[in-house]
Amino acid sequence: MDKSKRLYESTIIINASLDDTQVDAVVARVQEVITRNGGNITLVNKWGRKRLAYSINKKTNGYYVNLEMEAPGTLLAVLERAYQLYEMILRYLTIVLDRKAIAAHKAALEAAAAAAAAAAAAAQTDPVTLQPREADPVKVDGPTVV
Amino acid sequence: MFTPRKPRRDKDQTPRKKRTCRFCDAKEVYIDYKDEKRLSRFVTEQGKIIPKRITGTCAKHQRQLVQAIKRARHLALLPFVSDTVR
Repeated sequence: MDKSKRLYESTIIINASLDDTQVDAVVARVQEVITRNGGNITLVNKWGRKRLAYSINKKTNGYYVNLEMEAPGTLLAVLERAYQLYEMILRYLTIVLDRKAIAAHKAALEAAAAAAAAAAAAAQTDPVTLQPREADPVKVDGPTVV
Repeated sequence: MFTPRKPRRDKDQTPRKKRTCRFCDAKEVYIDYKDEKRLSRFVTEQGKIIPKRITGTCAKHQRQLVQAIKRARHLALLPFVSDTVR
């Protein structure tokens, strides 16, 4: 491809009164907009329903979804316009990941993977549990302090 | 002629060791806006950002921290004004 792609991170708040299938439909639509305009999605994190710190459109809860994608710069205008038009999406924030952020992200993913591997190994040696407990892949709480 | 600064608070009167920036100590390059538990430690009960002379953060990390806090406020992870103190 001749266009250089950058890494973007987009966090959106979806109306929490929708049920899970409808939320998945919203996320699928967003992903479709991204892929149709030349981006490819590297990570989708659904944080689930959280209490908002202040009310948005008179709502106190929101469903947070975090996406990471590689995309050319032309995608952003289209994406944010789609967010604005879509009334189920209450708030959005899209940022460019610079190299410091990327390094921190990689470190966090590696730490999470290492923690997951350690938890799986520990659970397998434990005779009481029937299934190994998987580390929760949804919550990525930012860089861990080294 | 050097006149020492008048202490504004009680804790300025006793000399204490130089506080280092906790982000510099941990060698962190990026402060994530998504980590609201961490960011809430740099914010007062009213929701206001604590100045760096209180927390001991260095200028570079304070700028990153403030940007992260403002992003978190936009995403309703942190409040602009907290109602707990009335």
